[in-house]
Amino acid sequence: MDKENKEKLKLAVYWGAACGGCCVSVLDVHEKLLDIVAAADLVFWPIALDVKYADVQKMPEGHIDVCLFNGAIRNSENELMAVMLRQKSKIMVAYGACAQMGGIPGLGNFHDRKSIFDRVYKDSESTENAEGITPQPKYDVKEGRLDIPAFYNDVKTLRDVVCVDYFIPGCPPQSERLLEVFMAISSGAELPSKESVLGALDKSQCDECKRKKTDNKKVDRFYRPWEIEDDGETCFLEQGVVCMGPATRGGCGVRCIEGNAPCRGCYGPPPDVTDPGAKMMSAIATMIDSNDEEEITEIMASIDDIAGTFYRFSLPSSILRRKLMPEVVEVD
Amino acid sequence: MANFEPKIVAFLCNWCSYTGADLAGTSRMKYAHNIRIIRVMCSGRVDPTFVLKSLREGADGVLICGCHPGDCHYHEGNYKCLRRYEFIKQYLTEMGIDKKRIRLDWISASEGKQFAELADAMTEQVAELGPCRVRSIMENVT
Amino acid sequence: MKDSRIGVYICWCGTNIAKMVDVEKIAEDIGRLENVVIARNYKYMCSDPGQDLIIKDIKEHELDRVVVAACSPRIHELTFRKALENAGLNQYLFEMANIREHVSWVHTDREEATKKAADLVRAALKRVSYHEPLDKLSVAINPATLIVGGGVAGMSAAFRLAEAGKKVYLVEKEADLGGQAARLDLSFPYLNTVSSFLQPLIRKVKEHKNIKVFTGQSISEITGYVGNFKTTTGINGKLEDLEFGHIIVATGLSNYDPSPFKNYGYGRLPDVITSIEFEKMLRSGNIKCSDGKPPRHIAIIHCVGSRNENIHEYCSRTCCATALKYANQLRATFPGAGIYDLYADMRAFSKACEELYTKTSTKDVMFLMFDPERSLPEVKQAGWKDECNMLIDMHEILSGENVEVPADMVILMTAVEAQKDAKDIAHAAGISMCGNHFYIEKHPKLDPVATTTDGVFIVGTCQGPKDIPESITQAWAAAARVLAGISRGTVTVEVTTAVVNEEICCGCQTCISVCPYTAISFNEEKNVSEVNEVLCKGCGTCGSTCPTGAIRSRHFTDMQILSQIEGMLNEGKVKETHKILEEA
Repeated sequence: MDKENKEKLKLAVYWGAACGGCCVSVLDVHEKLLDIVAAADLVFWPIALDVKYADVQKMPEGHIDVCLFNGAIRNSENELMAVMLRQKSKIMVAYGACAQMGGIPGLGNFHDRKSIFDRVYKDSESTENAEGITPQPKYDVKEGRLDIPAFYNDVKTLRDVVCVDYFIPGCPPQSERLLEVFMAISSGAELPSKESVLGALDKSQCDECKRKKTDNKKVDRFYRPWEIEDDGETCFLEQGVVCMGPATRGGCGVRCIEGNAPCRGCYGPPPDVTDPGAKMMSAIATMIDSNDEEEITEIMASIDDIAGTFYRFSLPSSILRRKLMPEVVEVD
Repeated sequence: MANFEPKIVAFLCNWCSYTGADLAGTSRMKYAHNIRIIRVMCSGRVDPTFVLKSLREGADGVLICGCHPGDCHYHEGNYKCLRRYEFIKQYLTEMGIDKKRIRLDWISASEGKQFAELADAMTEQVAELGPCRVRSIMENVT
Repeated sequence: MKDSRIGVYICWCGTNIAKMVDVEKIAEDIGRLENVVIARNYKYMCSDPGQDLIIKDIKEHELDRVVVAACSPRIHELTFRKALENAGLNQYLFEMANIREHVSWVHTDREEATKKAADLVRAALKRVSYHEPLDKLSVAINPATLIVGGGVAGMSAAFRLAEAGKKVYLVEKEADLGGQAARLDLSFPYLNTVSSFLQPLIRKVKEHKNIKVFTGQSISEITGYVGNFKTTTGINGKLEDLEFGHIIVATGLSNYDPSPFKNYGYGRLPDVITSIEFEKMLRSGNIKCSDGKPPRHIAIIHCVGSRNENIHEYCSRTCCATALKYANQLRATFPGAGIYDLYADMRAFSKACEELYTKTSTKDVMFLMFDPERSLPEVKQAGWKDECNMLIDMHEILSGENVEVPADMVILMTAVEAQKDAKDIAHAAGISMCGNHFYIEKHPKLDPVATTTDGVFIVGTCQGPKDIPESITQAWAAAARVLAGISRGTVTVEVTTAVVNEEICCGCQTCISVCPYTAISFNEEKNVSEVNEVLCKGCGTCGSTCPTGAIRSRHFTDMQILSQIEGMLNEGKVKETHKILEEA
């Protein structure tokens, strides 16, 4: 196809409940950004462009070729834009761990709206809020009605609210991977089947990890990374440090591990696994070097916050999507 | 809650506990109807994913039975199950789910009576906790 | 759920299932669900017509999966799998729901039982569409056989196999062959000497060119699988590796030590002896009390340690006939002595034993009955005025009177028990024990000498109390089974084993040390784990250990079990009414 006459791809980047890191990862392609803008027009990107929601609303259906949606769905605005962008986009990509699995904002599922609001607006040490005012989605003032997005009780993933075509995992995805995916799409290469994971390997971190692994996976105590004298060479698990590597897709270039930090699982589950937290828990439990109930409990206690450790990025997409908050018991 | 009939998914290992449950049957022992058994070859096959999935699909409790310690047909599969069970209990507690909804017990091939008693005990244990809210909460995202 | 064409069969099992489970309703409801092409209910699915139903339906309706809801799969899974094979369908595309042992036989509310059965059938339905065809693996059989235990059973089996031209390794832990039988004087009911048949048997076994006997040695570990077992045995540091295709466990039994049983005074009163100790006296030809004098009164007490809920609940089977044997031998030796047989029940059921009982009762033997659940006899030292060494207090239930039985010698018919090291042998051979540590047969009627571990048989008293003819019969039965196996030349092994997906395996090596059979090894070159299909016994522990989902436990995969859970807890999806049977 004639490159000059080829129409430029229309690219959108949007953030839900996000930290901004995924948007930065797009910028982090550095000078390759010029290649991107040569092949694509950025039609909507709140962090970089002054395009309004109303402008997006006016776009025809399927107007956007590729939308990279990062961030989780925390409130009604996130959901509204996810639905709107889905309608306006040919290809909807869940970009980054938050969109794919819920990510760090997903940890909000250990709480609910009430406990979060109580903490933020009433109980936190530096807050004075004698009237107990918390955000209201609608509020009438004399000038009219004020609307702000409704804060959801549960954090959701992008897939929970719209059909997702592809996932590009990572917190954030490696810029090199984004580039590869973008180049594939723009060159008109045949795309894999729907709901595939792009920009990541099929094999888990261990395949690329350069640390030495043996079959001596027996642990009698778990350690935080700062509690051990890491020799820089031995597998973290064999040193008693919980590393999510085996249950996490590769493709990030094992950067955390190369930096001597154990993998936290941001690149998402391997192909055949629905709940990587449960799989990793099973593997870790099996490593405990004891058959005695009391001893096992003791060794297990050396991991603080099991749920947080194994579901750091994936809580909203796991089997037990959220913590059960205590029921309010009616007293007769 | 009166008249609450819990649904309990039970994972039984082929060589000991499933055979024990069969023996309860051949001996015509009577026990609570709430248990639904899934056969695995060894209790070591029980993945935490199965326990979580059971709760997610609406089970009020999950029972896991293996061979007595030291008697596992595959040497130590039941010990691996024990280690995972402790993890699951802790995880469920952190997720606001009563760990008494899960139980691991040992039943040998000749312990038909003990299986019947365990089935009744587990049913009572879970009935006291009331219906498990996991499914309704997971299905009603708000 | 994957698209499948499933046939579902709900069995009545006569009235065994049908009286408590509404099998017709279940078949009707299941028939409405997606992917169910045909759903039937039938009286006896395991019968020939029942299986023919399945075969016919598979061919006519092009079924690709079959579910049978009936008894326990441990009984008939193989039967139905064969039916599938006969119809040209891979036998692993089959699942059974246990609605008899786990439902109809254990519940009393028909409505609840039916609901539970329906849940189990739906679970099987969902699961079966994720079953995959598996090819069976054929391995050659080593024609040698290992026999553990050189008593009557072990030697009888060894001799049979040797005579058929097959090599036998006979390992006996004591210094001599003969086992329990070697400690006996005469046998019931004909009162022939045991040595008259035992000694020739021992000699034939020792001299047979096909039997290699190892005495004073035991087996600690056996590796491998049917057709290809290995072990190492040895003494004084000289080890020998043995390879064999089948194992016959004939480790026999031991005897209860009645010392803790205060009633009987064993260990406290010098003339209270056990039956085994009495046999020793009989063999020496010299029956006398501890003071050297012949006994004027001899009492025999049955059920010492047997039929006792605190010791052994079971009946030791041979003691009653043995007691009658003793009564006869005592009468022949001491024509004028008082002989008292204190029994709970007279269980002389073997051939000619009832006749022995009748004969014994004509020999001036006093039979006194006690109730083992209400009061047991108590043996005490007699007073200086009494004309005997001991007195036994008992409540005789036929007369209803409390009596004092005189005795210079008391013979306790002690219970038999499993060997102390029964557990070690069980672990080594991969067989199961029941609560009292006797070994469990595969099925009391359908497979009485086999065990659930292919290639391993149990014979003789290690399986439970029995007499010499019964032990020999079992030994010959096992020998016949082994010969049948050997003559086939190959054996098919289960392939419900673990397999590693090398495209997913990341080489973390978490699985390597988890396998009890060291079936998983690490391939350094490919950086993946590999499972040895023949060593793997399919326990699935590696499957639930693997954090990447790379190891699949075939026939117990995550997908299969997760779908089973789903099916169990959800109402099935009903098919649209216009989608009827004619899918091409």
